[in-house]
Order: sequence, then C-alpha cells, then structure tokens
Amino acid sequence: MLVANRGEIALRIIRACDELGIETVAVYSDADRDAIHVRAADVAVRIGPPPAAESYLRIDAIVDAARSTGAEAVHPGYGFLAERAAFASAVTEAGIVFVGPSAAAIDALGDKLHARRLAQSVGVDAVPGTLQPAPVDRPDAVAGIVAEARRIGFPLLVKAAAGGGGRGMRRVVAESELPAALASGSHEAAAAFGDGAVYLEREIVPARHVEVQLLGDSTGRVVALGERDCSLQRRHQKLIEEAPAPGLSRADRAHVHDLAVRVASAAGLTNAATAEFLLAPDGRFYFLEVNTRLQVEHGVTELVSGVDIVREQLCIAAGRPLSAVAIAAADRAAMPATHAIEVRLSAEDPGLDFAPTPGRITRWVMPSGPGVRVDTAIETGSRVPPDYDNLIAKVMVHAADRDLAIDRLRRALDEVEVAGVQTTLPFDRFAVRHAGFRAARLSTGWVGEEWDGPAHRAAAGRVALVAAATAALDGPGFGPADAPSPSDGAEVSGGTARGPMALDGQWHRLGLEAGVDRWPR
Amino acid sequence: MAAVRPPAPAGGGTAGALRASIAPGGGPDGLEPVVRGPDVAAGEAWRRLDPDRAVLEVAGERHQVLLPAASAEQRRRAAREIVVDGWRFEVVVEPAARAALRERATRARADGGHDGPTEVRAIIPGVVVSIAVAAGDEVSAGQQLLAVEAMKMQNELRAPRAGRIERVAVGAGRTIEVGDLLVVIA
Repeated sequence: MLVANRGEIALRIIRACDELGIETVAVYSDADRDAIHVRAADVAVRIGPPPAAESYLRIDAIVDAARSTGAEAVHPGYGFLAERAAFASAVTEAGIVFVGPSAAAIDALGDKLHARRLAQSVGVDAVPGTLQPAPVDRPDAVAGIVAEARRIGFPLLVKAAAGGGGRGMRRVVAESELPAALASGSHEAAAAFGDGAVYLEREIVPARHVEVQLLGDSTGRVVALGERDCSLQRRHQKLIEEAPAPGLSRADRAHVHDLAVRVASAAGLTNAATAEFLLAPDGRFYFLEVNTRLQVEHGVTELVSGVDIVREQLCIAAGRPLSAVAIAAADRAAMPATHAIEVRLSAEDPGLDFAPTPGRITRWVMPSGPGVRVDTAIETGSRVPPDYDNLIAKVMVHAADRDLAIDRLRRALDEVEVAGVQTTLPFDRFAVRHAGFRAARLSTGWVGEEWDGPAHRAAAGRVALVAAATAALDGPGFGPADAPSPSDGAEVSGGTARGPMALDGQWHRLGLEAGVDRWPR
Repeated sequence: MAAVRPPAPAGGGTAGALRASIAPGGGPDGLEPVVRGPDVAAGEAWRRLDPDRAVLEVAGERHQVLLPAASAEQRRRAAREIVVDGWRFEVVVEPAARAALRERATRARADGGHDGPTEVRAIIPGVVVSIAVAAGDEVSAGQQLLAVEAMKMQNELRAPRAGRIERVAVGAGRTIEVGDLLVVIA
C-alpha cells in the first residue's frame, strides 16, 4: 500500500495497514524527510521539494513511486489528491487499486451543481438555489439571474461548482451587489480550481452542519454509519466535530441517513464518503455536497460506531463486501449509545484570526487516560512546515453521553502541553467550557459570535506577565536572561534564597524574603 | 481577575523587584509591564510543579503555566517563552530598577523635540521623598524635580527639558507606580 499523504492521516492509514499485515510505502517531500510517517512505513520514497505542487500534488511522481516499489494499491488520505478524479484514473490505469470511490463517482460528485441535480433526481432537497451555472460572462442574461436571485431571496451565497474551503464563495446581501459578486467569485474559482462555474444558494442562518458517514461496497450496497455535527467552523474550516449530532430524534437520524444513502446510491458510490447537509432552524435537512474521501473527522464516527473505517476502506478496495461489524453498526446508526467529540489542534493563532504559525515544536505532551484518542504525527522537535495544512493533532474523547464527553474533553485538554508554536488550544479550552456549547446551541456562526480572540489573548498576557515575574523571583531557571544560573557557579547572594512558603502543604504562597536580590547588576 | 499589579510595598521596599514585559512581537501590544517585588499580591497563589511547569491561581482561577527553556536565539534577545492556558508569549524579565532607568533615558530623548507640555511620569515605583519645584517655577534641562525612594535608594528625577512647571501632580510621601503622572512642564 502506498500512502499518498503526510502527517497524522498518513500515520492513521499506515497503522490500519500494519494491523492487516499489509506492507506500506510512504512518500515525502524534503520538508518531511524526518517526519514520523516516513519512519512508520516499511519503505519511503522522496517525491520532491517542499511546495505541495512539486511533491504531494504530483500525480506522475506518486504513480512512479507506486510502480517502482511494487505497490498494489494507493490510499490518498484527505486533501491533496484525494478528490482528483484524474489521480484516481492515473492510479487505476497503472494497474494499481485506488482506495476510494471510482474516478467517475469523484468526478460526478465533485461538481456541486451536478451533485445538486443528482440529489434533486432522487427526491432529496438541496439548499434552495440554482441548478445550472450562472451566466457570468453574458450581460444579456443578467435580468434572468437577478430574477432567480429574487426567487431564492437575499441574503444568498454565490458558490463555486468545483468549490471547497470557501473559495469562490461570496455573500450577497442586496440585488445591486450580485453582478460584482458573480464576477469576483467566478474569477476566484477559476484561479483556485481551473473552473469558473458558480451558482446561487440561499444562505440558511442559523444553520447546523450535519454530515453522514457512508460506506459502499462493490455489490452496490451503501450504508450510513451515523452522522456528525461539525457546526463549529470559522471561514468554512471545521474546528470541533462530534458524533452523534446532538438533539436529533431517532426519526431525524434515520431520515438524514436515508437522504445520504439515496444520493450516494444514485451516484454509484463505493468505498468511503460523506454527505453533507445543512440543518435549518425549522428542522429540515438540505443537501450540500458529497465528499468522496475519508474525512478528517472520521474518528468520532469510529468511536461511536465501533467500525474501523480505514480498515473497511482497505477491505472494500480489495473487493470484499462490507464487514459484519459495519453492517451491524449501520443497523443501529439511528440509535447511538455513546458520544464522541474531536477538537482539531492546529498551528494557528486564535488571537490573530487563526493565522498560521509554522515553527518548531519544543514541547509536546498529549493527553491520555480513559476514553481519549489522539491522532497526530508530531513529537517534540518536529517542525510544522509552512507548506501544508496546519492541523497537528486531533484530540478525540469518547464517553457514555455528551455531558460526560465534554467533561472528559475538558480534562484531556488540560493535559495538553505545547510550546514553540501557538496552537488553537486556547479556543478549544474556551469552547469546551462554554455554556452554549454544553447546551448544544451550535451553529456555523458560533465562532464569530462567541469568540473574541484578541481579548482572551490580552487577558492571558496579563496573567503571563505575573507568572513570568513570579517564576523569576521563585527561581531558579526563569530569571533575567543575562543572570547566571546557580549551575553556572555564581553565588546566590547571601545564600538565603528561600523557596516559597508552604500554605497548606501543597499550595505555596510566594513570599520571598525582602532583600533577597539574586540579580547582579 | 484580581489586580495584576501588586500594591507598592510599604516603606518603599522594592529590593529585588523584577519587571516582566512582553518582548517585541512576543504578544499583544499595549500590555502594561508587571512589576513584582518580594511581596505577592493578595488573591494569588503560585505552585511551582517542576522547573518548567507551574500553576498560578488568580482570583480563584487556576492557570496552567509552562516555562520552557530558552532557545539560543531567545537568549540573544534576552527573551523567554511562557505559555499560559495554551497562549504562547515571549517576555522579558529584568530588574525593575534597570528597566526604569532605561525607560527614563528613552523618554527623555523622545520628549526632547516636543513643543507641547511634557508629562513627566514615574519610571520606577516607590515613594516620593521630596519635591524641589512648585507650579510656576522656571526650570532648566537637567534640573532636579523630585526624589523618589526605590530599591532603598534615592532616585532623583530631573527635568527632560527647560520650561515652566505647569503642575506638580504628587506630594511628598506619596506612593507611586510606574507610569504615574508626576510633573507637567509647559
């Protein structure tokens, strides 16, 4: 098995292969020469310099690596080439098995307009909007698209047919903004995806993002393993995901699972995929799109369903039918017995609008204990390169119900210790303590409404200054940078540096003797 | 959250006081430096778990504190990394007296070219022991304005420029903090 990816997902796939006794081939760019996924695989092949376009996105280099190592299958992971039909075709044409849906299914579902029409054809409502590309470059058709926009209602979204990650997306509040939004959205989509087709969609607010994990085998059987709620997002990037979606009745769950299976079956979907829906305030589900790949957040479904989704993918790709475990899990998917939550720990600054913070990790302690799963490929000393996604760990918890899972997540996040780069940990700690999160008042606008990053950062900064001064007085080891430490042989003045006074045997109150001034000047 | 800056110790006992500030680019701008003397502020508790881990309790809220070893690059900049509840900062910890002297020098230079009234502010915490000028006095650059006892030493505060004293904002015996307004020179 060649794993055409990096980071935690490459390691996740290598582990599944290891458990099945399958030998693995890693590929890596120069930025990942010392990465954990390279060590974990049986064989590793360099595919290029750090930029993704010259390494992990190079179809030819990866197919060559598969051929030269005698790999019989390729797993794309998520991101990079995972949803490129051309990659699936190139792998298949080289006589190698592609672990994922067929190139035809990727192609059909990758075009969101096509997917919307497909959903409509099997009686699944997509988010209200248009089903054909907007005539962006035909001034004579402006009246028509404006009429369509009026029918849909404002505010609405201009979205890219080939879209993902919010690129090509524009929010339009008034009719007068529409022509400019269509033009700029189309331009951005063309630059990002090589396809400038855009369409209109009603903006549903407040909305929850609910998605259904699907598995399909070569016999044509498609099942749903359960749904996830991924409403906590910022700029269309998910931050926290959970399974099952809180607050749904058994009938709601069965209904949305059925919608997902209908769309996937119509597309002839095999292997693993996820159908995404918006849950409107009136309780209706609207189809958004199908992702024809393993999702970042597949782990929460694994914890609740008991199904190893990557193992299922490998078995399905080998031509086997869905396992008995998967079928049994699908049968009880509408009656989940436990709850799982995942937070994405990313190298981003939540105090600066989640700006990327690449760098070297100098301290790395991940949580453990009951009900905790951490998927990561980072260790102390790892570098987070600026070239790729900023996700550095997925911290998942599993418990009997949602309240217990939140308690467990809070505890687990308190065990995390990371230094060297700023991470999203402060946001995660905030969310897990938030009454609205516990009450499951979730929506895709939650982060923007509840999170004031700069204010939290400033408050922590004030505590940090107190802690820094206190630590230096409390010494040794955190004094002024130019002060010799006792290990340097410098005399501690008067020899009377005293430790903090014990208050109750455990907590200490800082009370250094006046006049103990250990800092030479 | 409890007052971050501790009350100035009685009797001007700031011997050994340290000042922590955010290193350039190491955190949010505009955070007041914190000066810590040998006494600790009420409502705080500090527990050093090991050389690079601690818990600081402020107003009943516990904060996880990581104190990783400084890298060579940080040592060059005299900066230290500190992580509080997952927030990463770079700070500079130095003797409060030295920081104050440096800032006084910087401020005197910066104020040299101003046309409007010059506000002379405290650059060290301490107690005002004497005042040498009164409102309306003409002063020359370098003339003594007042004396502050800090670090068990008398510190003379001198006029950054010539002018007329518009206002004296403190009296003898008054405890002052870094940044407090002392004198305005028109």
